[in-house]
Amino acid sequence: MELELLVALGIGAALFGIGVYGALSQTNLVMIIMGVELILAAALVNLVAFWRYLHPEVMSGQMFVLIVMAVMAVEMAVGFGIAITRFRSRGSVEMEEARELKG
Amino acid sequence: MNIALILLFVAIGAYAVAVLEGWSTYGRLSLSRPAVAAIALLGRESLLARKSDRLFFEVGPVLLLIAGLLAIAVIPLAPDLIITDLATGALFLNAALAYVLVALIMAGWGPDGAYGMIAGWRFLGQFIAYAMLIVMPITAVAMRAESLISTQIVISQVEMWNIVYQPLGFVLFVIAAMGVTYLPPFDLPLGDLAGGVEAEYTGSRLAVLRLGRMVVILSLAGAIVIFYLGGWLGPWLPGWAWSVIKIFAVMAAMLFAGRYMPRIREARYLALSWKLGIPLALANIFIVGVITLVVPI
Amino acid sequence: MTASVFFLAFFGIAAVWFGIVVFRTHSMVRSALALLFAQTAIGAMFLVMQAEFLGVLQIMMMATEMSVMAIFMVMFMMDPGGLGAMEMTHQKRLSVWAGAIGLVGAAAIVGLADWGLAGSGGQVPSAGRQVELLGLELLGRSMFVFESAGLTILTAMVAATMVAITPPLKGGKNGT
Repeated sequence: MELELLVALGIGAALFGIGVYGALSQTNLVMIIMGVELILAAALVNLVAFWRYLHPEVMSGQMFVLIVMAVMAVEMAVGFGIAITRFRSRGSVEMEEARELKG
Repeated sequence: MNIALILLFVAIGAYAVAVLEGWSTYGRLSLSRPAVAAIALLGRESLLARKSDRLFFEVGPVLLLIAGLLAIAVIPLAPDLIITDLATGALFLNAALAYVLVALIMAGWGPDGAYGMIAGWRFLGQFIAYAMLIVMPITAVAMRAESLISTQIVISQVEMWNIVYQPLGFVLFVIAAMGVTYLPPFDLPLGDLAGGVEAEYTGSRLAVLRLGRMVVILSLAGAIVIFYLGGWLGPWLPGWAWSVIKIFAVMAAMLFAGRYMPRIREARYLALSWKLGIPLALANIFIVGVITLVVPI
Repeated sequence: MTASVFFLAFFGIAAVWFGIVVFRTHSMVRSALALLFAQTAIGAMFLVMQAEFLGVLQIMMMATEMSVMAIFMVMFMMDPGGLGAMEMTHQKRLSVWAGAIGLVGAAAIVGLADWGLAGSGGQVPSAGRQVELLGLELLGRSMFVFESAGLTILTAMVAATMVAITPPLKGGKNGT
């Protein structure tokens, strides 16, 4: 029980680290969104592990997971809408070329 | 034992799909045409594209076959003849069918050829059209059965089959099912110039790709039967006989009905399904909810 | 006990490996599909942890979302096949340090905290019962959260569609 919880949370920590690396190191907006997806997936793993090993009878844990999944989908949709508009007006979604507001 | 029987049914069913497809394409029934064609395909030379993505090129057809087999795993032929009676059977069917999309994207992108790639991305457009239409009628069916377990969904139709109870859902689900398996008139992935997704595949990989598609057609016919046509329920014959007869009848109807319409492009399919199909599906859920609460069957 | 630990570790390491492949590969479609298989491994972990509905839901949703992401990559990136050699990263040292600090910090909390397992941990409901209870929870106690999430999703859908289909006129002003 304890070992399973630690394994699941450790996997969540590893995925979180990889997601942060990806979100900060990539120049393209789509790759940054993929990094954020990994961070949210790590959060999901942690939530399910907490539900399963600490409070299995309380269904609010699973409810939280559903909300996070919905937020993931919505954030991806809005992010891609912004990417389409940016691509139309500038021709690329590279972060290195997005210097218009830089002070 | 169950697994062996169901796999035998899958083999016979896939062969029957091939026979029916040949009959509807060529106009003459020939029981040995698929066997001869399969032997010819296996004997042909296997051409490899020059700069292909080898991983996707190999995995695409196999993933299509695996998706079909996983979808069959939750379809009951009789009350105890099912590979695995999951508590979320109807949702698992959907999850397995989502991998048909992944398989076709891999098969389109892998060979690095223009026709295959465009056909694969067109299938993605078709997928966005049918994705909601496949889930919402299942929601209405599960509402009546008050469960997601496949056997429970069949048992809930003892008094009245779902095709009479929810005809709107049935029509939408059949249209979406024909989109999943890219049957005519939704066969844009196959109907492009040079054969679409199958353009760059030859030899044994093409045989696996076609076999995968037949298993997916079989699993969707099975899904239509258990969700709307009452599964194994029927008067004199044993349960599994009724299941098999109904599945073959639905397969024949799906394969023959679409030949009389021109091929529908994914843009028009998207417009039809999002502007007309989804409001109808939502209305279907609402109507079924009201009827379930009011009428005592 | 050991079977589920083994499967958790197996699917977890598969998810981590696919996650690393996402950022190491040069081909963009491979990157998107590697993220798909990482999320599928996470869905399999949910199934091992006996959250059957969530596992199946994760597997289904992520197959769809990552395929859509694959086509967006093909649309927006300059070298989707990865056959050229391009430098795709910036601020490498900062991001490696940030990732490492995140990983080590989370792992330290995981190892050092007292999770209170001694007295807790009741019976896990069976899978069918979980689906029933989840439905009751969704439409009972968490109804407000559920409805507001639904409204938020609808607003986001309408907003994203409007942003995506209104082309900007010359001169930068938005028009219809």
